[in-house]
Amino acid sequence: MSEFTKELDASGLNCPMPILRAKKALKELSPGEVLRVIATDPGSVKDFEAFAKQTGNELLESVEEGGSFIYRLKKN
Amino acid sequence: MELSNIHLVAGLGFVLALIFGAVANRTNFCTMGAVSDWVNMGLKGRFGAWVLAMGVAVAGAQILELTGTVDISSSIYRTANFGLGGYIVGGLLFGIGMTLGGGCGQRTLVRVGTGNLKSLVVLLVLAIAAYMTLRGILATVRVAAFEPLAIDLSTQGISDQGLASVLAAWTGMELTNTLRWAVGLIVAAILILWALSQSAVRENKDNILAGIVIGLIIVASWVVTGLVGADDFDPVPIEGMSFVAPTGNTLSYLMTYTGATINFGIAIVLGIIAGSFLYAIFTRTFAIETFTDKQDMINHLSGGMLMGFGGVLALGCTVGQAISGISTLALGSFIAAFSIVVGSALTMRVQYHRMDDMSFTRAVGTGVADMLMPWRMKD
Repeated sequence: MSEFTKELDASGLNCPMPILRAKKALKELSPGEVLRVIATDPGSVKDFEAFAKQTGNELLESVEEGGSFIYRLKKN
Repeated sequence: MELSNIHLVAGLGFVLALIFGAVANRTNFCTMGAVSDWVNMGLKGRFGAWVLAMGVAVAGAQILELTGTVDISSSIYRTANFGLGGYIVGGLLFGIGMTLGGGCGQRTLVRVGTGNLKSLVVLLVLAIAAYMTLRGILATVRVAAFEPLAIDLSTQGISDQGLASVLAAWTGMELTNTLRWAVGLIVAAILILWALSQSAVRENKDNILAGIVIGLIIVASWVVTGLVGADDFDPVPIEGMSFVAPTGNTLSYLMTYTGATINFGIAIVLGIIAGSFLYAIFTRTFAIETFTDKQDMINHLSGGMLMGFGGVLALGCTVGQAISGISTLALGSFIAAFSIVVGSALTMRVQYHRMDDMSFTRAVGTGVADMLMPWRMKD
């Protein structure tokens, strides 16, 4: 299992909530620490790609697992 | 059987909406997502797609009008009845509603087509609330509270709320066709150039595709209802695309089918769902989504209610007012569109502050401060 510092479960929520929650959660991490996000909204795939690109927090992983979308973001 | 005028107009509307639904699905075109990308990540790509659609629609609609091809001034947007209170309050409520409900009217229809049952709930509540505001119990609120806030411009000697007419009245210039061409050209140029000046628009082909295709579909709607539908004996109302009142009418149509007649608005509501559904099947992205969270369901129900009520009050939504209305250059459409964006952005800021365990009142206060002084926003 991949390493992460903190986990955020945004299952059942759709845009803009997963991004808002991830933004808040990342604020509480230190640079280099990793946030793992679980979401079920298919729209979140493009949202997290854009979020990572725009904010500079690296998207280490974006996978689909049993109907959920798992992301790992490394705080910059 | 000969095809009657209304069936021809509805059929063409359905085809246009089919393309709209498929393109919106493919390009992730979402006006609430556009506000979210901008407010939450500083990314203006999808907002640019929306503004590009407005600019393309303005250019096309103004050419249609000023060459005398389609009489766009007879649509609901540019009358002398300037419903200022409705544009502002209705717009704000719609903006709040689309953020809580997972997207605007158009996006809700697209998501229904992809199998999202949460959006189906929003669609039903939005349709009922819209109809209640058009003709039902909420119509009494609309008439009692908001009609007195409307300004009849004709009493001020202004023929309509078009930007050119208002500008002429304010400056004392004569309202000539040259002035109309100039205003149309300037507004279209500002919108298109602003959109294309955003690197996030230029870097993502989907944003360009969505902006151009959706803008052109609105122009085509004016042609279908105003030119194809112009029949001496059986004319249809001239309209662009809009997704609040037509969604209410669609529900009513389906429930009273044997005694009802289809119209352009009903056809486009069904067309968007069908277009998105076909795209989802074709790309194997159709998936059933349901509520799993109590608060999420409360948000979606409130969102549908606010969009139905606010959308009728504001005379349109993020497509109806913000693209179709703006393409007529009605002043009220710009005010309604701006109010929708403010309502949506404010809701996102309140949601963000609420995560800090801020009280609701304090979160709203801080959110309002963010809106008034965006440069002071820390995150």
